[in-house]
Amino acid sequence: MMSSSSSTREGKLAGLTGATGRRVSQWLAGPVPTSVLIALVIGAGFMLVAGANPITGYHSMLVGSLGSGQGLSTTIQRSIPLVGMALCVAVAFRAGVLNLGAEGQMVLGGLAGAVVALNLPGPGLLVCAVACLAGIAAGALWGALSAALQAWPGVPLLITSLLLNYPARYFVSWMIRFPLKDPASSSVATESYRPEVQIPLLAPKGSAIGDWLAQNLGSDNPLTVIGKGVGWSLVVVIVLVALVSFINRRTVFGLESGINGLNEGFSRYSGVRVNWMTTRTMLLSGGIAGLVGVMLTIGAPTSRLIDGSLIDTNYAWTGLLVALLALYRPAGVVVAGVFFGAIVAGSGQMGRDLSMSPQIAAVVQGIVIVLIAFQVHPPRRRRRAGPPAEADNSAAAVPTNQAEGA
Amino acid sequence: MLAVEMRHITKRFPGVLADDDVSFDVRQGEIHALMGENGAGKSVLMSILSGLYRPDSGEILVDGRPVKFASPLDAIGAGIGMVFQSFKLFPSLTVAENVVFREEPTRHGLYDKRAAAAIVTQIAERYGLAVDPAAVTGSLPVGVLQRVEIIKALYRKAKVLILDEPTAVLTPQETDRLFEVLRSLQADGHTIILITHKMREVMAISERVTVLRDGRVVARLNTAETTGEEITRLMTGRDIDLEQSPPKSAPGAPVLEVSGLTCRQAGQKPAVDNVSLTVRAGEIVGIAGVAGNGQSELAEAIAGLRAADAGTVRIAGTDVTAGSVKVRRAAGLSYIPEDRHAVGTAPDADVASNLAMGHHRRPPLLQHGLLKRARLADFAQRLVDRFGIKVAGTGVLARTLSGGNLQKIVVARELDYASPLLIAEQPTRGVDIGAIAAIHKEIADYRDGGGGVLLISAELSEILSLSGRILVMFEGRIVADLEAAATNEAELGLLMAGGELAGAGKEAQS
Amino acid sequence: MSGFFDAALVESIVRALIPVLFAALGALLCDRAGVFNIALEGQLLIGCFGAVAGSYFTGSAVVGVIAAVLAASVFSLILSYGSVTRKAEPIVLGVAMNILAVGITSFLIDAVFHVRGVFQDPAIAGLHHFAIPGLVRIPWIGPALFNLTILGYLGLLLVPATSIVLFRTPLGMRLRGVGERPLAAETLGVSPASYQYGAVTASGVLCGLAGAQLALGNVVQFAENMSAGRGWIAVVAVMLAKDKPYATLGAALLFGSTEAIGFRLQGEGLAVQITDAAPYVVTLIALLFAARSFRRQRAAATVA
Repeated sequence: MMSSSSSTREGKLAGLTGATGRRVSQWLAGPVPTSVLIALVIGAGFMLVAGANPITGYHSMLVGSLGSGQGLSTTIQRSIPLVGMALCVAVAFRAGVLNLGAEGQMVLGGLAGAVVALNLPGPGLLVCAVACLAGIAAGALWGALSAALQAWPGVPLLITSLLLNYPARYFVSWMIRFPLKDPASSSVATESYRPEVQIPLLAPKGSAIGDWLAQNLGSDNPLTVIGKGVGWSLVVVIVLVALVSFINRRTVFGLESGINGLNEGFSRYSGVRVNWMTTRTMLLSGGIAGLVGVMLTIGAPTSRLIDGSLIDTNYAWTGLLVALLALYRPAGVVVAGVFFGAIVAGSGQMGRDLSMSPQIAAVVQGIVIVLIAFQVHPPRRRRRAGPPAEADNSAAAVPTNQAEGA
Repeated sequence: MLAVEMRHITKRFPGVLADDDVSFDVRQGEIHALMGENGAGKSVLMSILSGLYRPDSGEILVDGRPVKFASPLDAIGAGIGMVFQSFKLFPSLTVAENVVFREEPTRHGLYDKRAAAAIVTQIAERYGLAVDPAAVTGSLPVGVLQRVEIIKALYRKAKVLILDEPTAVLTPQETDRLFEVLRSLQADGHTIILITHKMREVMAISERVTVLRDGRVVARLNTAETTGEEITRLMTGRDIDLEQSPPKSAPGAPVLEVSGLTCRQAGQKPAVDNVSLTVRAGEIVGIAGVAGNGQSELAEAIAGLRAADAGTVRIAGTDVTAGSVKVRRAAGLSYIPEDRHAVGTAPDADVASNLAMGHHRRPPLLQHGLLKRARLADFAQRLVDRFGIKVAGTGVLARTLSGGNLQKIVVARELDYASPLLIAEQPTRGVDIGAIAAIHKEIADYRDGGGGVLLISAELSEILSLSGRILVMFEGRIVADLEAAATNEAELGLLMAGGELAGAGKEAQS
Repeated sequence: MSGFFDAALVESIVRALIPVLFAALGALLCDRAGVFNIALEGQLLIGCFGAVAGSYFTGSAVVGVIAAVLAASVFSLILSYGSVTRKAEPIVLGVAMNILAVGITSFLIDAVFHVRGVFQDPAIAGLHHFAIPGLVRIPWIGPALFNLTILGYLGLLLVPATSIVLFRTPLGMRLRGVGERPLAAETLGVSPASYQYGAVTASGVLCGLAGAQLALGNVVQFAENMSAGRGWIAVVAVMLAKDKPYATLGAALLFGSTEAIGFRLQGEGLAVQITDAAPYVVTLIALLFAARSFRRQRAAATVA
């Protein structure tokens, strides 16, 4: 990842000299496309078990994800939280911080956003902004708690962050069921927010742009459909991707966290305070998760927080898969996130068309990751600098020593 | 009668020809030295003989019969046992368990602890290898671990014993004791192959010598008919002068003042025990000691990587006792650590990032709070050029570099700080002789440029040739402070083993 | 509060701890062999599904148990092949396998049984409880310890069995050696790969048994995501127990008690969300107290 500047430059040069075709075909024969292909074949097997025709199934999936205006709109809607959650995981894993608590950080962020949206009076835009900040703060602090517990008394962050998901999840559920419950509603949900505090759609029906799009392009045109289905969260996520990319490449924190992820011993030795680095990483990672939670909570068309709505979609864990697939690179996160978003959107459509469980999405996604993990190893992390495992390094060291004479 | 014969062995690793048509033989019952510089191909050759690697071509005969080893197990079965330089022991198991691993005595299907202990004791007593069968290996000093390895090989009925650099971790006195064991093994009919690059030992114990250079056999000699000078010339192929010029000026102001530094460790003696020392500008202070006597811990404690329980550290006049690594580096510390793979670099990051770390917190790499990517690349290229690092480009991963070049990355980055204090820990371990000379020269130049150096090395020759003053560390304490010009290897060896100078020449038997 | 701690509570503690115990012993073996297994949650869920499917189609709980064991051990091959043969990152594989298991089982209950959420049917044969005559009459612990399913007894007996195999037999010594220094073991002719495959497969078998106990013993049904974090608890239990069998039993007991007491408190009117969260919070607190000893351990160390 640290070599991205020179490798992209080489990539551009190679493209200019006409090797693009070869590179594309090389990539197509590479692990990612083959893994996707095999996963789709295995997915077809599952459809056969369910008594469905895989060809019909995949056709339905394609239409429901990329092949129609509505499909595109749904894909983008699903991709927004996926890309967001994947960024949350990517910034952490890149720094060698194994944050498995994205879900808890997200739901607490969502809850904080909902509480603000329900209770804070004032102009919509301001409330919306405060809700976002509250969500970021909630997610960041919950994330930083794991970092703190690793610094002292020293419980591995991987485990604490994971375990902290559960109290967060049940606390949010309890809040919705009791203090925030809308007594007028039969479902377990909060009251509805004022419409003006929601994160608005890009071009909803009835707005000037929305009507203009509908009149000039037609109401079925993809742009019109996307405009009335996708909210400003899209812009937020795009800014977030750019921001993370900038942090990684141009800041001291970005360089140090990348090095820390590759070899914590080296980063410590170079003067990086690892606990503080971990804490900052968890604040960033948790903050992103919290923001995603808020966007899922108050982003139109969502108008209230329903019990279980943030968990059932499984965005946090799918986002983790996206980050792994993207090898923690922001640009890769976008590509992989949209791809997984399309699978989720398409599976939903396929589920409705063929009355099949939309869980086929999780099956295909899981298989893709497993197959890719077999072939591509994400940037390796080294052991902490502790007592060296001498006996086990020696065999590898022999050829290295030989190389020195050459 | 040949115990082992290797014919026309060739072994290639990606990009490296480790052994090139090597033929090597050992007679029954002899002690044979296999010599060569780092990277000459001797360890790979013996790894082939012990079944760890398979040769690309060539054949092996044991007792005149051709053999093919698919695994170390086959080699053990043929009576060949190897004691690796880094021991292949399980730290959480006892000595007895390590010895009998995979050949365990059992009773009613369960591991028979008593039988295992009896086996170990019997072998140990026969050859004078003192060990406690019930001790957990993780807590034992290296000298004992080596004995465990030898017992392990003997338990597996090894007739041919290969020892890879067995004396690297021993004091000269411990080495003598090891040689007594080897002679008693020889008297009992065992054949011994000694991989080494130390002349004294070869002349003291071996009957024949095979010298490798750059993967080829350059000589087969009878020890009695040769000299150390001849073997050295054969090994290096040239006359390399590792002697460094003495300092040009007298030492100046202190750049490192350590006082009463102590690092405790749970359940054991302190790793660093009340250490006080001073390094001045323009001098190199060497720390001699057998590995594991607190030198690494001392370096880590000075660098801020290890918490100290007592004492103070001042770097270039600033008290940094409570400071982090960052604070100490800012105060004027640069540090070449012992382990370049786990500490000194991030092998999976590119060369440019590896060179930039530390420098990235100040101009010109950092400007207005942001990194300048172009300057990062230029900076890396400048260091690569200045230190002659052989690398395809600054964008390649550091793990693709050879050990010597990787070490040069560390040296280049640390010296470029031009900070008042340099701690150099095993700066030339595992690098080829050309790189050793280059690194020694850089360190001497650094001293002449007014820097103060704390040099920690297991190689006494390195300490003696570079240092002005030499401190000896034993069990965490500094036990001697000597002028380099007024001491020698034998004296240092005695001190390193915990001996007293007053009793020199009459070492107490233990 | 009199009557709160009664024999029934002890009984439900034992019931809650058995599945976690099985899974934790599986995690222990993997850890000892040097494979960081965080796929237990998925293995367990697959085991539950296999148990219910096997039992439903044949009407036999024994076939259910066999199906659970087979399903979970085949599933565990993803981890052994991936991490041992392909040298893939076990954490990545574990996370993907857990999601995959949720996907597969949720998809299949829809595809095979045509229900969503929960599958309950009289045709699913549950596991019988076998009371040991005499012993079962011991007050308090009698009904809890001597009126278990076959799997319940098996689980409790596996604790001493694991301890003996691990610390008293050559097999166990080699397994520990492989986990600690794989290359050293290899030079002595002990293949780390085969021991690691063995350990991961054993964890599959144990998770299959855990799943069978959960889906045919504790309840008789399959519910989406019914493993409900028990696989993760098992990972933590082994961490708490530092890979020691009897201590693992203790950690599982801690978890079982929290779950059972929480369930009892629900009856007293405590919100279900609080009691659901309790096992995780208690486990976390236990970790905090045990933390000092695993500074610089595990998470980072196993990833390299």
